Amino acid sequence: MACEFLEYRSGDEEHSFETERAYCTVVDEFVLPMRADLCNERFGLDPATECEYYIDAVADGDR
Amino acid sequence: MTYQEYLDGKPVIITAALTGGVQGKETVPNLPETPSEIAEAAAGAEAAGASILHLHARQENGERSFDAARFEEIDGAIRDATDDVIIQHSTGGSGAADAVRAQPLETEPAPEMASLDMGPMNRFKHLTSENTRGLVDRLHERMLERGIKPELEVFNTGHLNESLRIWNDLADPPYVNLIFGGGTTTIPHPRNLMSMLHDLPDDAEFNVIGFGPHQLPLTTMSMLLGGHVRVGLEDNAYYRAGEPAKSNAQLVERAARIAEELGRPVANTAEAREILQLG
Repeated sequence: MACEFLEYRSGDEEHSFETERAYCTVVDEFVLPMRADLCNERFGLDPATECEYYIDAVADGDR
Repeated sequence: MTYQEYLDGKPVIITAALTGGVQGKETVPNLPETPSEIAEAAAGAEAAGASILHLHARQENGERSFDAARFEEIDGAIRDATDDVIIQHSTGGSGAADAVRAQPLETEPAPEMASLDMGPMNRFKHLTSENTRGLVDRLHERMLERGIKPELEVFNTGHLNESLRIWNDLADPPYVNLIFGGGTTTIPHPRNLMSMLHDLPDDAEFNVIGFGPHQLPLTTMSMLLGGHVRVGLEDNAYYRAGEPAKSNAQLVERAARIAEELGRPVANTAEAREILQLG
């Protein structure tokens, strides 16, 4: 499972990568690698309780 | 571990933290992530004066890897690219399961050193790297079994207390890394470095990390107080305000130049092993 706001992209206006990287559609930014583990719900991590981007997006009705 | 050691011209060990486990190329475009990039950075850091390389592993997309095989791939590339360096694996990993955190200790061969986070560390808004005493003890026990020298990561003064809890079980000399920056780390100010050194047992060797703009002043202060230093893009992406660092080597070169100016020669790898009693 992974966060519903996670996408993998190879670039944006500022970046271009050989390998697609984790991108958060809530904040419209590539995310830090450490945060990508949270986005991908690795190690039992849960965006619903541990990611402020997710929590704020849900509170704002973005889903 | 004293001002007298500065006066005596004790060699200073430079550790290069090449990659880190938090940010990636999305934030620091020249951050080495792949084994070949890390090996190239390692060679540059060694040539500039680093004798210890603090390593994190990444997947091809920059995300964290704790896999022993990935560390072995990186270590092999580094050994091919360098003459002789001390490899130090990170066992840090906010959010990662305890069993995962131990994997970097299972490479063949074992690293000469590994980091040991001494207590909790907050990340983002809702995430904490707990680093329970149970995990600290398990990682330390495995390090003892494999002959790996722990580098105690002391994020704040409370973690120095936690270090004292296992002090008598540590191989001589205990090697303590005092960390200054934002969040859970010690407030970066010279008085706090002095205070922590006051509380550090005399038999310790110490190293200083200063995050961001605190890297230069606090590592320089460490040299004046008989300590060692860690620099590199993991901790600081800027050479000076507004000027991104060109490479890890650039930051190591500056540390080496300052050490030499201060009358503390840069330790070569053999000297670093002797100071830390490795092997």
